[in-house]
Amino acid sequence: MFEQILWWAGNAAEAFLLLRSFKERLYEKYPAFYFYLAIVLLLQLFRFSVFVLYPLAFPAFYWYTQFLPATVGYAVIIEIFKQGLKSSPGAARMARTVLWGLLGAVILKVVVDALSSPTWSMATSFTGLERNLRTVQALLISVITIVLTLYKVPNSRNLKGIMFGYGLYICASVMSLAFGSLPGNATRPGWRHVQPIGYLAALFIWTYTLWSRYPDPETEEDSKIERDYRLIAEQTSRALSKIRSYFKMGGEL
Amino acid sequence: MSQLLPYFGVGFLLLSALILWARQSLTTRKGSVALSMPCKRSSGVGSATPRRDLGERIFDPHDWDFVRRETTSGIQRKFQQERTVLAISWLRRTRRQVSFIMRTHALGVRRSKNLQPTMELKLLLSYLSLVMLCDVLIGLIWLRGPVRTRRIVEQTFHWTARLRAAFEQLLAIVDPANHKALETGFNQGTAQS
Repeated sequence: MFEQILWWAGNAAEAFLLLRSFKERLYEKYPAFYFYLAIVLLLQLFRFSVFVLYPLAFPAFYWYTQFLPATVGYAVIIEIFKQGLKSSPGAARMARTVLWGLLGAVILKVVVDALSSPTWSMATSFTGLERNLRTVQALLISVITIVLTLYKVPNSRNLKGIMFGYGLYICASVMSLAFGSLPGNATRPGWRHVQPIGYLAALFIWTYTLWSRYPDPETEEDSKIERDYRLIAEQTSRALSKIRSYFKMGGEL
Repeated sequence: MSQLLPYFGVGFLLLSALILWARQSLTTRKGSVALSMPCKRSSGVGSATPRRDLGERIFDPHDWDFVRRETTSGIQRKFQQERTVLAISWLRRTRRQVSFIMRTHALGVRRSKNLQPTMELKLLLSYLSLVMLCDVLIGLIWLRGPVRTRRIVEQTFHWTARLRAAFEQLLAIVDPANHKALETGFNQGTAQS
């Protein structure tokens, strides 16, 4: 019963969000996000019809389509990256470097795992694979969020909502999928509720923040700051080094 | 169970980042506000206060020598308690100034296309270690009192002065138009602290 309530509430919220996006023309600004929502909604309805018409085929269908939203989720992250850092090329460059480094490390780990484990296969576990996809997403969103925080990059309320809601959902997904991938936990129903509840919470955040279309914050006027980066960095570095040198002089510490 | 730790670690990292970001979004309105923040500090006694750093006066050994020589142990204890409160608040303010330098830097370079990730990372690590050192000092003073940690704190006077000079140089580059006003505000803030 509880699962059904979650399921219907989620579908209703998704349909509502999509309708609002047409009214406010938000889908033009965030196409990947609304594509993701549409995919999730269509998938849910499709699964429901399979469950009613072909109940025996439902488990296999469910697991094989489980990766679709996780994969489309990467498009949402790319959109968050592009939209969130478009006014700050410096911060975007910083984020891009860290993101490439991160992706490189993940790919390296997958290759090393594949070579070192003779029993490794892509379909070792559906839950495990989805968990890994979501974990990489969590790392990517973490990097973008940290860069946005460090450089205080201003963003519209719409984008903040998308990012916060999606981040929260990914966080719930990673934790619940990690717990669920443990032997013996896959059959327990408890951990399965965390992800739908997280998604419903994200839907509420999106409904609140994407109710209307908000303008992007005003961008600063371009100035001499651009050509002076090296000088600024040197001055900051010098200031911090001076402080450090006084600490190094010692004392009672 | 230990195999879950990396995933929970990633989950907590994301959650913490989101909370910090949401907190910042709720408290910060615009970057320019941060740049002009020192000017907004009230200057009630600023003009009347001598330019000498308040930190020097808080940790001045002569005060303690006088109190120890001329007063009872009760007054000495009271003196130490009050100086501890003052010292901690002074250090907290100094810590804010260190943070302000990094904030100014971040606001200045975020639009730069020439930004160097390695340099940024180096600065970030340097800043974080200094903030931690400030926190350690605060902890030491809280535990041992300002008189016993005077020697350490004496060295912080020097770097605070240098920090201020370096900050002014930095600001002159980042925001030359507002530099004069900021310099005044920063000096007033330091004098009051």
